[in-house]
Amino acid sequence: MLEEKIQITNKLGLHARPAAMLVSTASKFKSEIFAIKDGIEVNCKSIMGIMMLAAETGSWITLKIDGPDEQQALETIIQMFKENFGEK
Amino acid sequence: MQSRTKDSITVEDFYKDRQDLFELTLFTSGSGLKNRIENNQVHRPGLALAGFTERFAHKRSQILGETELTYLLNLESKRRMEVLRLLFSLNVPVVFITKGNPPPEELLITAEESNTPVLGTRLSTPGFTYRYSAYLDSIFAPRITVHGTLVDVYGVGLLYMGKSGVGKSECALDLVERGHRLVADDVVLITRKAPEVIIGAGIEVTGHHMEVRGIGIIDIEKLFGIRAIRLQKRIEVLVRLEIWDTEFEYDRLGIDEQFATILGIELPQITIPVSPGKNITVISEVIAMNHMLKVYGHNPALEFSKRLSEDLKRKDRTLSYLESDTE
Repeated sequence: MLEEKIQITNKLGLHARPAAMLVSTASKFKSEIFAIKDGIEVNCKSIMGIMMLAAETGSWITLKIDGPDEQQALETIIQMFKENFGEK
Repeated sequence: MQSRTKDSITVEDFYKDRQDLFELTLFTSGSGLKNRIENNQVHRPGLALAGFTERFAHKRSQILGETELTYLLNLESKRRMEVLRLLFSLNVPVVFITKGNPPPEELLITAEESNTPVLGTRLSTPGFTYRYSAYLDSIFAPRITVHGTLVDVYGVGLLYMGKSGVGKSECALDLVERGHRLVADDVVLITRKAPEVIIGAGIEVTGHHMEVRGIGIIDIEKLFGIRAIRLQKRIEVLVRLEIWDTEFEYDRLGIDEQFATILGIELPQITIPVSPGKNITVISEVIAMNHMLKVYGHNPALEFSKRLSEDLKRKDRTLSYLESDTE
């Protein structure tokens, strides 16, 4: 199981579109992928869960990935965060 | 599952939260408002005021009712000062004065010395104790969030769990359409309210929204009306949805019940294999009704098995009678 803390850097935070991007990317992997913020753990493959985190810019979330393709999943997701989901 | 249990709150948190409801007044300057209340127990310091401090309940909220105040006022001012200093030296997070009584002057002086806040309430001592304990109970209640869907089916709280995409939300949608009520979809906040009771609720941000693959986000309350939703519900049965696994042995009898543990409470758990075209809605209704039957004292699986055994015994008796009958 891999765990990694990551900061949200795009200006608008994790709003609907980046959330959808995150969910569709996470769903491509076999691993179980969870995001934790303020003690709430949600499944990264569920859009409602991700949006419910209401993660604003500058806030931190913890990714928890467990499964056969965990390493690849972690790298891909971190890359998405680093690229600010194609936003500013 | 992620734990969200709180282990303390500040006196200030409580004061801000319940100022109007408990009709609270702050008598001290507020220097001790950052004191932490660390447990849900309250204490009336009668014996401590009389000078007996062995086995004193430290770190508990102290309540001064009419009895304690009358006792204090009967003391001479110097002695009053002494016993109150003694009380405040015992690591007290907060002191309450009930029934709208004014605090004695010495109480305020000694409270300020030790940076302990003194709050007054207009409620009676039993009334305040009851409501304050209930408030602290709800604050300190163990809680976790789980990935699942909670639906009230015929008054039974069914918590659906299973991998993303297995059809939890679709099942809930179907149930709502048939007149059952959605409590929470996707993230369920579970709180242990009593030793044997866990309550599930949604998280405020989502309200009663739900995502259905292919449609997107829908609002259950707007679509189906107020009858389709519920704010919280006791969780009684855990329904695990799984993609049909030909290797796995699913329960065929229901005599040996399975259990899962959430927050230390055992819940009956039912594993339902999912496959295309399988109607989980009707199965869910049956799960709920069957649970009610068991609560009312009927266990269909056990009763059927008993009937079968009796039948076999009877047949055996008839057979042995006929065999021994050489007529």
